[in-house]
Amino acid sequence: MTLAPDRRAEVPVVESSSGPGPADDTRRSLLRHMLMARGVDEEAIQLQKQGALDLWLSCQGQEAAQVGSALAVGSGTTIFPSYREHAVALTRGVPPDELLAQWAGRTFCGWDPQRHRFFPYTLVLAAQTLHAVGYSIGCRLQGLDSAAVVYVGDGATSEGDMSEAMNLAAVESAPVLFICQNNGWAISKPATEQMRTSVAARARGFGIESSLISGQDPEVVYADCLRAIRRVRTEKAPYLIEIRVSRIHGHSTSDAQELYRSRDDIDKARASDPVRAYADRLAGLGLVDSGWLDAVEADVRQTRKQLVKRYA
Amino acid sequence: MNSPRRPASLAETINATLADLMEHDPRVVLLGEDIGRLGGVFRVTRGLQPRFGKDRVRDSLLAESTIIGQAVGMAMSGLVPICEIQFDGFAYVAANQLTTQAARIGHRWNGQITPSMVVRIPSGGGIRGVEHHSESNEGLFARAPGISVACPSTAQDADQILRYAVGSGSPVVIYEPIRLYWKRTQVQGAEPARTPTAARICRRGSDLTVATFGGAVPVVLQAARALSPQVDVEVVDLRWVAPLDTDLILESVARTGRLLIVHEAPKFAGMGAEVAATVAEDGFGTLKAPIRRLAPGRTQYPPADRENDYLISAEQITDEVLVMMK
Repeated sequence: MTLAPDRRAEVPVVESSSGPGPADDTRRSLLRHMLMARGVDEEAIQLQKQGALDLWLSCQGQEAAQVGSALAVGSGTTIFPSYREHAVALTRGVPPDELLAQWAGRTFCGWDPQRHRFFPYTLVLAAQTLHAVGYSIGCRLQGLDSAAVVYVGDGATSEGDMSEAMNLAAVESAPVLFICQNNGWAISKPATEQMRTSVAARARGFGIESSLISGQDPEVVYADCLRAIRRVRTEKAPYLIEIRVSRIHGHSTSDAQELYRSRDDIDKARASDPVRAYADRLAGLGLVDSGWLDAVEADVRQTRKQLVKRYA
Repeated sequence: MNSPRRPASLAETINATLADLMEHDPRVVLLGEDIGRLGGVFRVTRGLQPRFGKDRVRDSLLAESTIIGQAVGMAMSGLVPICEIQFDGFAYVAANQLTTQAARIGHRWNGQITPSMVVRIPSGGGIRGVEHHSESNEGLFARAPGISVACPSTAQDADQILRYAVGSGSPVVIYEPIRLYWKRTQVQGAEPARTPTAARICRRGSDLTVATFGGAVPVVLQAARALSPQVDVEVVDLRWVAPLDTDLILESVARTGRLLIVHEAPKFAGMGAEVAATVAEDGFGTLKAPIRRLAPGRTQYPPADRENDYLISAEQITDEVLVMMK
């Protein structure tokens, strides 16, 4: 049964930025990180097919949301990821080979969480939301920078811990930015069967300000996340951003999305690829030329080669 | 204030130890339902919020996953949270954050952080509690690698264990027997434990070892006194159920040749099974008689009117010991 969405409390989707947009260097940086994340993700899928990785949870289609948000919140904020935030990790400076280590069964966390202020992946859904709020309160009690960012997917928002964390952050006025990447699917359960309102509307019920944005354009994501993290810091209060993204691949390399998702829907997700769209746009604007793109491509190729050497 | 001749109760001692720990370590914060304004439903934290302030003695939301989940985050930030779960039966709601998160943080972080956190759980029956207020679920967390589980039965042990736990670098769950909170029995001639994590012989004897812990300890001691001098019973207070002090158990059984285990949680898959298996594996040759266990059946804790039928009595223990000595 699919219930009609409850429109009474709906939050409008922001599709485009109203401001002047980020500086040209930032725009190139957004694209460079998105291209690198795409290359690493493609190589990880290949390595999984070859048996070198046990599992991979692709983030393809979510690069604009991840890179845009990671660049906007800056390197000083502590990030509590879920398990699909590969583009966030790479943007934060986690080396690609360290990112893949846990999926090759070598460790539960391949990188240095303190150094990158990017904490280990948490595989029990939404458990990390309470950690982020507790961490923020703990830092505040010790007079330390207490801004934290926590990532969840749409599926995880059904967990009790997510609701508990939103309520705790609200009543404690904890400076935590919740970023929900809604890719429309909790493995095989479509978002329409998971919730009657948007996650952004739900946050407001807890007394948390929120916005709902498209994850297609990294500049929209960057602008909204920049505004949100500034607000979190100045008002010392939580905020939630729901980013609508498209999931190009299945939930994981073990998933078979063709069994439950229409061909048309999968094709649509592929066609609206945010990486390709942004590369074309910046090239069209003359912000990147073929020399720049070739240099990034060479960098990505070199990274992929190193991953093959390490894991294949 | 206590008069010099009036021994402090378990609840008063825990209160004093918490105050002392907070006094000497600014990282220690308390977190739990009704622990501040009210001083806890058992008043164990009475007077601590006025003394240390609302930041450090925190009245939590009425959500156990929230308590443990935020404590994990606080521990990551460098604090040492001491949580209280109001009653044993509510520990299940916190079990996910405890077992899948708190227990695994150190390992997941490759040892880069070693967060200390303590979870105090008032537990056990004999208090005419309503449903979910008299349970013994220590076995649930004892089988979770990464969590240590203590079950002190005396004020002195609770003090020592609490002080050890806040510096242990990993989560410790402490089960506090509710029915002993206000008892003022002075422990006579008790030998101190060899280490903070060791078991303790609380009565020397030569004929038979009874291993027990928590609220059952005074019942076992009562039975041991009743059996004397006919049977000379040694009583081992395990103090910790995870990890177990197997050395002391094996040493005691090597001397007495007989082992009875008594506890309040159901016998099936209870801690007694682990103690019995340890002695069967590593001390079988020292046994003069089969190992026996005395614990309730695999039934839920009953309504208060029937709890005396459920709990193991001193008479059941003396009867069992006499059978084992035949």
